[in-house]
Amino acid sequence: MKRGIVILLSGLALGLCAYCAFYFAGTASHRALLETETPELAWLKKEFGLDDAEFARVIRLHDAYKSECMKMCRRIDAKNAELKELLATTNALTPEIEAKLAEAGQLRVECQKNMLRHFLEVSRSMPPEQGQRYLAWVQEKTFLPEHRMHDHH
Amino acid sequence: MNALNSDQEDAPLSALLREWKTDATLPPRFREEVWQQITREGTAPGVSLWADLWRSIEAALRRPALAIAYLTVLLAVGLSAGLFQAREKASQTDHALQARYLQSVDPYQKPR
Repeated sequence: MKRGIVILLSGLALGLCAYCAFYFAGTASHRALLETETPELAWLKKEFGLDDAEFARVIRLHDAYKSECMKMCRRIDAKNAELKELLATTNALTPEIEAKLAEAGQLRVECQKNMLRHFLEVSRSMPPEQGQRYLAWVQEKTFLPEHRMHDHH
Repeated sequence: MNALNSDQEDAPLSALLREWKTDATLPPRFREEVWQQITREGTAPGVSLWADLWRSIEAALRRPALAIAYLTVLLAVGLSAGLFQAREKASQTDHALQARYLQSVDPYQKPR
């Protein structure tokens, strides 16, 4: 009777150990990414196979763009707040609302131009093939309208 | 054939048993107790089922080939489950980090 219990429990322990070993080994690289200071950039390095020099260039570009991006965020928030305020006052499409929508649209164009400029710079810091892949991916995920349509349907 | 031989060999024993008489009396309430015991056994089928199952498993695990097969199957299940879960988790982390990168470069994707 004792031998049966020992074999039964050994099997369960063996299965559990195998599960834990494969799970921890399989997620080790991702856990390491999450422990870095900027996991999203560490992910970019891994995904696009950047070496240390390329990665350092990407970080520099990213940091420089970040402050510009923060300013743009504040302008977008301010414009959205103005639009919201105007929309709350009326149920009609007034000339003021039209003007504000045009301004918001202009802001979006400006933002997209900045983004594209940054993406092109980042892609040039990568090996050519990876740069192309990065560019195609990031454009699709940010401002290509087809992407938004597919996302919503 | 064997049964026939066996009957022939046991013939004297059978005759003796037929002649055997006993004047010993059954204990009081013997019949009632027997029926109570039968009833008790009959009302706990679960216990008996589990005991039977455990005896079968125990007997199976005593056979080396089955014990090795059992251990191998659990090892394979553990490995596969670990690998599958690790891939799922890695994929989730990839998606989360992708989204985080996009939010860091696209003002229109920043959470507000």
